[in-house]
Amino acid sequence: MKLLLPLALLSFSAANAADLSGQVPPVANRSIDFLTDIQPIFESRCFECHGPEKQKGGYRLDLAEIALHGGDEHAANIIPGKSAQSPLIHFVAGLEPDNKMPPKGDPLSLEQIGLLRAWIDQGAQWPKGAVAQKSDPLDWWSLRPLQRPALPAGSVPSSNPIDAFIRAKLTEKGLRPSPEADPRTLIRRISIDLVGLLPTPEESDAFVLEAKMDVQSAVEKLTDRLLASPRYGERWARHWLDVVHYGDTHGYDKDKPRPNAWPYRDYVIRSFNADKPYARFIQEQLAGDALFPGTQDGWAGPGFIAAGPWDYIGHAEVPESKVDGKIARVLDRDDMVSTTMNAFCAVTVQCARCHTHKFDPIKQEDYYRLQAVFSALDRTDKTFDVDPDVAQMRQRLEAQRQRLEEQQKALELKRTAQEDERLRLLEKRIAELKQGTGAVERPEFGYHSKIETVPETTKWVQIDLGTAQTLTQVTYTGCHDTFNGIGAGFGFPRRYKVELSDDPQFQTGVRLLEDRTLEDSTNPGVQTQRIDVQGKRGRYIRFTATKLAPRKGDFIFALAEVQAFDSDGHNLALGAKVTSLDSMEAAPRWSRKNLVDGYFYTSKTEPDFAQIALLEKERDGLRTKDAKDPEGTSAKIEQVDRELVATQVALRKLPAPQVAYVGAVHTGKGSFVGTGASGGKPRTIHVLKRGDVRMPMAEVGPGTLPFVPEMESTFSNEPDEPESMRRVALAQWVSDSRNPLTWRTIVNRVWQYHFGHGISDSPSDFGRMGQLPTHPELLDWLASEFRDGGQSLKKLHRLIITSATYRQSSEGDAENQKLDGNNTLLWRMNRRKLEAEAVRDNVLLVAGKLNLEMGGPGYQDFIIDKPNHSPHYEYEHHNVEDPKSHRRSVYRFIVRSQPQPLMTVLDCADPSMSVDKRNETVNALQALSMRNNRLTISMARHFAARLESLAYDPDSQLNAAYGLAFNRRPSELEKSELLPFVKSYGLSSLCRLIFNLNEFSFID
Amino acid sequence: MNASPYHRQITPPPVSRREFLFRAGGGLGGIALASLLSDDSLLAAPALLTSGVLHYPAKAKRVVQLFMAGAASHVDMWDYKPELLKRHGQKWDPGEAVELFQSNLGETFASPWKFNPHGQSGKMLSEIVAPLGDVVDEMAFIHNLVGKSGVHSQATLLQSTGFVLPGFPSMGAWASYGLGSLNENLPAFVVLPDLRGLPSNGQKNWDSGFLPGQHSGTIVRVNAERPIEDLYPPQADYITPGGEIAVLEMLSKLNRTHASERSGDSRLEARIRSYELAAKMQLAVPSALDISGESPAVLESYGINQTTKVWPKEINVEEEADAFGRKCLTARRLLERGVRFVQIWSGNDNGFPRRNWDSHEDIERDHEPLAQGMAQGTAALIKDLRQRGLLEDTIILWTTEFGRMPCAQGGKGRDHNPFVFTNWLCGGGIKGGVTSGESDEWGYKPADRKNSAQVHDVHATVLRLLGLDHTRLTFRHNGIDRRLTDVHGHVLESVLS
Repeated sequence: MKLLLPLALLSFSAANAADLSGQVPPVANRSIDFLTDIQPIFESRCFECHGPEKQKGGYRLDLAEIALHGGDEHAANIIPGKSAQSPLIHFVAGLEPDNKMPPKGDPLSLEQIGLLRAWIDQGAQWPKGAVAQKSDPLDWWSLRPLQRPALPAGSVPSSNPIDAFIRAKLTEKGLRPSPEADPRTLIRRISIDLVGLLPTPEESDAFVLEAKMDVQSAVEKLTDRLLASPRYGERWARHWLDVVHYGDTHGYDKDKPRPNAWPYRDYVIRSFNADKPYARFIQEQLAGDALFPGTQDGWAGPGFIAAGPWDYIGHAEVPESKVDGKIARVLDRDDMVSTTMNAFCAVTVQCARCHTHKFDPIKQEDYYRLQAVFSALDRTDKTFDVDPDVAQMRQRLEAQRQRLEEQQKALELKRTAQEDERLRLLEKRIAELKQGTGAVERPEFGYHSKIETVPETTKWVQIDLGTAQTLTQVTYTGCHDTFNGIGAGFGFPRRYKVELSDDPQFQTGVRLLEDRTLEDSTNPGVQTQRIDVQGKRGRYIRFTATKLAPRKGDFIFALAEVQAFDSDGHNLALGAKVTSLDSMEAAPRWSRKNLVDGYFYTSKTEPDFAQIALLEKERDGLRTKDAKDPEGTSAKIEQVDRELVATQVALRKLPAPQVAYVGAVHTGKGSFVGTGASGGKPRTIHVLKRGDVRMPMAEVGPGTLPFVPEMESTFSNEPDEPESMRRVALAQWVSDSRNPLTWRTIVNRVWQYHFGHGISDSPSDFGRMGQLPTHPELLDWLASEFRDGGQSLKKLHRLIITSATYRQSSEGDAENQKLDGNNTLLWRMNRRKLEAEAVRDNVLLVAGKLNLEMGGPGYQDFIIDKPNHSPHYEYEHHNVEDPKSHRRSVYRFIVRSQPQPLMTVLDCADPSMSVDKRNETVNALQALSMRNNRLTISMARHFAARLESLAYDPDSQLNAAYGLAFNRRPSELEKSELLPFVKSYGLSSLCRLIFNLNEFSFID
Repeated sequence: MNASPYHRQITPPPVSRREFLFRAGGGLGGIALASLLSDDSLLAAPALLTSGVLHYPAKAKRVVQLFMAGAASHVDMWDYKPELLKRHGQKWDPGEAVELFQSNLGETFASPWKFNPHGQSGKMLSEIVAPLGDVVDEMAFIHNLVGKSGVHSQATLLQSTGFVLPGFPSMGAWASYGLGSLNENLPAFVVLPDLRGLPSNGQKNWDSGFLPGQHSGTIVRVNAERPIEDLYPPQADYITPGGEIAVLEMLSKLNRTHASERSGDSRLEARIRSYELAAKMQLAVPSALDISGESPAVLESYGINQTTKVWPKEINVEEEADAFGRKCLTARRLLERGVRFVQIWSGNDNGFPRRNWDSHEDIERDHEPLAQGMAQGTAALIKDLRQRGLLEDTIILWTTEFGRMPCAQGGKGRDHNPFVFTNWLCGGGIKGGVTSGESDEWGYKPADRKNSAQVHDVHATVLRLLGLDHTRLTFRHNGIDRRLTDVHGHVLESVLS
């Protein structure tokens, strides 16, 4: 809405106001206090659009000088003493159909309008210093600075602080904690929780014995043993991979394989096993390449940024210049931004892509600053040598190869120039000169720079003579653009200089041949300018324009020809290599090579016989064989070729580098173009109105959310800094000990995976739409303990598992259930339904088939049909007996568009989205799969064979089966049922039955 | 745990019969419960809730979504453009810069097929969809639909889930979540894919996203030996019919003992029940899918080939009609048995030789057989449902990811047109013979660019007909109350009867 359009203002003649005054609600009949009567109305009904945050139409009702004296372009909305004439009253009373205020929701009540009128009529008094109470957006549980709270009053100092907080809340609510679970239940619970695998019967028996003597010490020892097992990292990495939505294909259309995703998966497993300090874990994933260069984890960590899906068609088939290409890239960065902020900080930043976040203090600008952090990146492959010696060797050899290739190129250019090209150009020029009957006009005008809007722009063009040469004269000639009728001297710069050097960068050994940079020169037209260079020697001649030639409203630099003569009068520049800062290539008229093609416009009318003779002499010289290669160029080329081959062989002999799919500057060739071509320069990021790429608004630089008052939320990265410094800044912000979200987020996640629900049950959303923590002090205590105590996840696990809270029985209790049916306050342990991976891993484990090979490319439990175009992933054709596919589920090759049927029906994480908490369902399709899936059918047979190898009689086989699957002996009742069952239907049927029992899917 | 009703699915609340029913029905609170109770006479719980719990009186109970993968051309089927005929072969100049997905701007390209008026409404249909002429007065066309992307993957997701990113629930999953099942022995949401391959994004188009997994579309492979994954065990020496029953009985017995020793966890009971349901499904599915009892006349009307035949290598009408007709007939059988939502696909991924609607190279080669096959099966389905009295409460929605350009690509093909394309609706609660919104004279953009329709409007309309308010059918995910229609969507009142 616009408060007071100029037109609306015009309608406010005194007569109109008088007419309207009869329609406004009556004035309140009492004396008004601004602070108690008026300001609350403004705050509740007007501030959303006209307050401290937003000022639509430039108008605001929180500051007296603007409220009382109008907005941007109009007179006052409030006329003290004249409420009936005050536009504000007309708006709130709905008298202006186009300007009803507030525009949404109920109108103000008659009473409120009466109060406003009375206030205006009484002089619109606005007490000095009456500043509106602005609610602090950071005053929210997850955004307050993290401080270590005191333990609840009366807690025993020696007890586990977790129990102190939990027990205090239970007592407060009249709930009783449950007794400790029995040792068998404990070892099953802790094993599944920490390593995802059932304990062996022997481990379980030993633990039960130990626990009978000292349960505390037995649990501590067990926990330490399991945390030290590599199986721990495999189990807990999977939780993190859910959150970052890791997958081994791109997803979307075609869903091509991503063969180098796995180094990131292995990195996560390695990091958990190494118990890396959490800040380091954050930093490696966001900016490991920059912060820890040359390390395997620094290289693989940024796989985090690339873990999610990628729209291959939107990137490879649609260029960034098209709307659809832009959309694909904005959405791709959106995934990077949201994954980062959801995973590490539990902020739903993605809500601010199209509009200001509706609930949390995040503006669109904040969101797009985060896009700017990642704007140089794409998802791409990067190589790495695990052995640092190999890395060093490769670097040296690569440099050598590059140098030799350049030499080879230069020498070949020279040979060509010496031979054919030079000869051809000479013949052509001689023929032209012999005609001699008038102006020679050819369309090859010369070199032309790109167009600029200001004349003071430096541009250069330079000629490479191949090797350093001794020169006597350099000439240059302006253009004659007959095409546009501009004529002689078109594009000849106002100020310029000519230099000679052996350094192509013109950083060192520069000899100035001519300097016209100090004042404007007159345009010489097409008259050739000559510089006597007196035997100076050099390889490169550079012509630099420092003030460009004016055209109609813009500025350019153009030049027809540069010649460089030796003492024999040979033009060494003829056909030489030309480079330039930029060039408008528009063949045949404008091209770099036109600068040395021997042609420039001349108005001579008679043949220049002296010139012809000189050129003919040179041509004849070139035609004799000896003169063709006076410097032995061919021999040099052969030498370079030999060295190059040797270097390439040496490179090939090095162990192949590893390749990881990470977030990085994409430098590859092909239809998908990243920022590599522009040196990794970040793309420009604009705030997009309603998130629409066709409506860019202000440009923004890198930054983050304004959630840590002590830290700048806009980053100070210079435009020419490497892009990685933006990610470094973000990594530092996220991992800073003052960040209130990071530490709460991770301990809450860990808590959730242990207990089934978080202290806040929305682990990726700590905002105002998320769940409030049930135990905020406990969360803060754990977060500060974790942050300040070494950031060790293993320490945190140990603390949790050794608590009495964790060790409670999962059995129900009628009384407690009435008060807290969902067990929010943890008066018992939650029974765990095994996740898809745990079901499959334990089916394999119990069957004796689990293959514990770690790391490397994932196992594929499908056959790929049509791999080249749109791969079909055919699970039904996989051989379930293949031992390579019997590895732990964390090593599964995860396909996004055609998910693994068994894992999917068992609620595994969908790699298309960040999964902070898995859905847990019970349904008929699950039952069908557990009963009939080829894997369970096959593993039941293997399980049976294992039982037969362990024991001879059915009774002992049944015991062994129960020992392996349930860590217990069958009851007498079970025996009496199952022994006849086995007799009738066989051991395999028993094993299949066991996989389907509730006891196999639920851990007490 | 937490108090949000959306999380009840995944928490272990106290045992109660009603609570259990809610889980087993797997739907949105009372609505699902109501539908479940009305169909499960074994359960003696009182019918506490009536149909009044729906947001609106429902005009339809079931949906068939026909999805043409690859992008079917509106100007070659039902969006008649005489202007293209007039200017065929001339330079095409809509008066503004045109950004094409793949090609450079070609000449104006008239449809290679004749259009004729059909039905009382006189709707112009192309000869390749002529079989639909008989039912055209039942259909409501939306010719001014605009997309958000010309990239297949994003555009397909937009039609199926309302979002251009993967990870969101399909419309069928929302319907299953909102309304539950009409027959617990069959999945509420069934997908009949093109057996030659899945469309862009594969199963993401019928995924449940963040909704509980049982709302995902269940793939039924019509005519395949194993129509549903894991419906039956594979061949194994130890598996016998008698053993199957014994395993189930023993499972139930041991699980009940296990559950009786553990109080306060309804999931244990629910899982026991899930095995019973699975067994019922094993019985119900074969009869639902067996078309051998259908009369030859019915089979013929659907275009189903009744003799054994080897299909030629080239794409052809007969084969397309057979493939699509089988899915349409199966859909009818599933709808009759209480499946809530059936999604039928025509066209596979973008492999070669082309077997989808993405006719960049040659519109005649692909569109003629695909469209004729689609039209025959679809017309038969509509008539069959009408004759059985099912059309009045079944919605049929025809869609595709976007349309195709009025200009030629390489002389014979057409490039993507996300700027305007067509959907049509028919059946329960739909006013037949109307058109809601037109495209411009080229079929390039909406005639009224300020008032175009979006997929969200179509989704909102379908939900409304099912008795659901698209702004109130929500699920909290990552801090947002997610809807099928995101923050968009207006019911297309003009197509409602």
